[in-house]
Amino acid sequence: MAVYKRGYQRYQGPIAGRWTRFMVLPRFAWKRLFQQRLIILLMVVAFIWPLLCAIFIYISNNSDLLKGFGPQFRDFIAVNGRFFLVFMNAQAFFAVFLGAMSGPGLIAPDVANNALLLYFSRPISRADYSLARLTTLFGMLSLITWVPGLLLFAMQAGMAEDPWLTEHWKIAPAIVAGFAVWILLVSMVALAGSAYARLRVVAGGIVLGFFFILSGASVMINGVFRSDWGWLLNPAWSTQTLWRALLGLDPQPGPGVAACALSLAIMILFLAFVLERKLRPVEVVS
Amino acid sequence: MADTVVELEGLKVKLGRREILRGISCRLGVSGVGKAFGLLGPNGAGKSTLILTLLGFHKPLAGRISVLGFDCRTRLNEVRAHVGYMPETDSFIANLSAVSFLRLMGELSGLPGKIALEKAHEALFHVGLGEARYRELSTYSLGMKQMAKLAQAIIHGPELLILDEPTNGLDPSARRRMLRLITEMKEKQGMNVLLCSHLLRDVEQVCDEVVIMKDGMIVHKCNLEEERRSNKCFVELEVSGNDAGLRGALPAIGAEGVSEGNGRWRIVLPPSVQLQTLWELLGAQNLLVRKLTHRRDTLEEIFLKAMGHIAHTPGESAHTSVQPV
Repeated sequence: MAVYKRGYQRYQGPIAGRWTRFMVLPRFAWKRLFQQRLIILLMVVAFIWPLLCAIFIYISNNSDLLKGFGPQFRDFIAVNGRFFLVFMNAQAFFAVFLGAMSGPGLIAPDVANNALLLYFSRPISRADYSLARLTTLFGMLSLITWVPGLLLFAMQAGMAEDPWLTEHWKIAPAIVAGFAVWILLVSMVALAGSAYARLRVVAGGIVLGFFFILSGASVMINGVFRSDWGWLLNPAWSTQTLWRALLGLDPQPGPGVAACALSLAIMILFLAFVLERKLRPVEVVS
Repeated sequence: MADTVVELEGLKVKLGRREILRGISCRLGVSGVGKAFGLLGPNGAGKSTLILTLLGFHKPLAGRISVLGFDCRTRLNEVRAHVGYMPETDSFIANLSAVSFLRLMGELSGLPGKIALEKAHEALFHVGLGEARYRELSTYSLGMKQMAKLAQAIIHGPELLILDEPTNGLDPSARRRMLRLITEMKEKQGMNVLLCSHLLRDVEQVCDEVVIMKDGMIVHKCNLEEERRSNKCFVELEVSGNDAGLRGALPAIGAEGVSEGNGRWRIVLPPSVQLQTLWELLGAQNLLVRKLTHRRDTLEEIFLKAMGHIAHTPGESAHTSVQPV
C-alpha cells in the first residue's frame, strides 16, 4: 500500500544494538562528505604521492632498469625507513588539509542549529557522539595515510628480495601507529575547533592555524630562549620525532621521544577537554 | 505490571548556584494507556528544567526520577529509547532533506535502516509534510519546522512523547492541526504525552491531567477529565448597585460565587442551572449587569488559583488554601 494511504503506525519491532546505532552517524557523515567535490578532489590529489612512491618502489626493485648505476645510487634509492618517513610526511600534510576541510562540517552545524538536543535525546551519549565523529574523520584520513602506506609496504615486501621483510617488518606497525597518532591529533583539532567556533570557515581556519601558528611559535621560543624545548609546542615536530623512533631512524636534535609523546598527549587531552566543554545539549547560565 | 509514566520523588535540581527544582514529588499516568499531561507554569517555574532532567540533560541533586519504570540516573539509554522529544528551540540538522533527517533520527533510535526510511515517509505524511519531504529542512517555514520536529519525535513510536511548546509560532490552522495530531497520538496510537506549554487553551484542549509549577515546586495537580465531566459553567460578572446580598442569594439557585470587589464576581453554575436563572436573580437583586461572560473551561481558574492571583476557585470550599503537592 502507498505510504500516504497507509497512515502512521507506531513502530513496535526490534531495536538495533548499540554498535549498529553508533555506526549510523559515521555512515551518514561519510555519505555527506563524499558528496562534496572539493573533498573528492583533495583525496584524489592526496593519492598522487602514494602513486609516485609505488612507481619508485617498482623502479628500485627492477634490476634491469638500474643496470649501469653504481652501488651508491642503489643505496640512495633503497626502500627503507627513510623512504617511508618521506612518504608519511607528505601524507601527513594532506591529512591536515583534509581534516581542515571535512572536520568543521561534522560538529559546527549541529551546534549552530541546536541539533545536539535531538541527538542526545536519543540513546546516544556525548561520548558516543564524539567517538562517532572521530570515527568519521579516522576513516576518511586513514584512506590517504596508513592504508596506502601499508599497501606500499606490501608492494615492497612482495617485490624485494628475501631478507628485506625480515629486516624491515617493524615498518608496517610503525606506519599504522605513527599515522594513528597523527590522525588522532588532526581529528581532535578539527572536532574541537568545530565545536568551539560554530562556523565552518572559522573552524577550518582554527585547524590550519593550530599547526602553522604553533610551528611558528615554537621556532620563536627556541630563538628567544636559545633552547630546543620550544619544539615541544610544534605538534608536527613532536610527531616527526615519534615517527623516527618507530621507524628505527636516527633521532633529530632536540627533546627526546618521551617528551614529545607527553607533549602530544597533553595537546590531545586539552582538545578533548575543549570538546567536552562545548558539546552540551543545553547551556546552563550560572 | 504497568509502570508509572513519570515518577518523581523529592527531586531537586541545582543549576549553578540556583536551585531550580526544589524537592518535587509526583506520579503521572500508567504506561500503555494513552493520556496527555499538561505541564503549566509561568516563566522560570522549572518546567523546561524538569523536562531536560527527565531526558538526562541535567543531573538531579537529590531525589529519585524515573520514566516508564526506568531510573533516569542509571538507565538513561532505556529512557531515551522509549521517549520522543520535541524541543522548544529551532533544532534541525543542516543540509539534510526532511526524509534523510527523519531516517537518521529513526536509525539513531534503533530502527533498522529500511524501516527507518519507511517510517520517515509515514511520519512526514502524517504531519502534513508529505509533499515537502524531499526539501531541505533549512528551507522550511517555522510552522513546517515545528511539524518536522514532531515527526522526528514520533518516528520510533515512543511510549512517551515530550512536547515543549509545540504550538509556538504556528498560525491558527497549523495550531489546530498540531493539537489534533497530539490528540491522535494519545487516542489512536496509545502514546502518553507530556505537554509543556504556557497556552492554557492548548493544554485544556489536549490534556487529561495538569500539573502546575511555580518557583520550582508543583503547586497544583488536577484531573481535567473529571473537571470536564462536572460540566460546570463559569461566569465572570460585573455589576453596579449594591451587591451585598448576592453571595447569600446565589446558593438559592444552586450556584456559588466569590466577589473580587468593585462589583466583580466569579460564579460557578452547576449543569442544571441555566444562565437565564442567574439573569432573573440579578434582576431581583436590582443589580445592573455591566458585563457577563461565561465559559465551560476551568483551567484558567485553576491556574490563577495556583499562582495565587485569586484566593480560591468558585465552587470549592473557601477554606482550601494552595498547598504544594
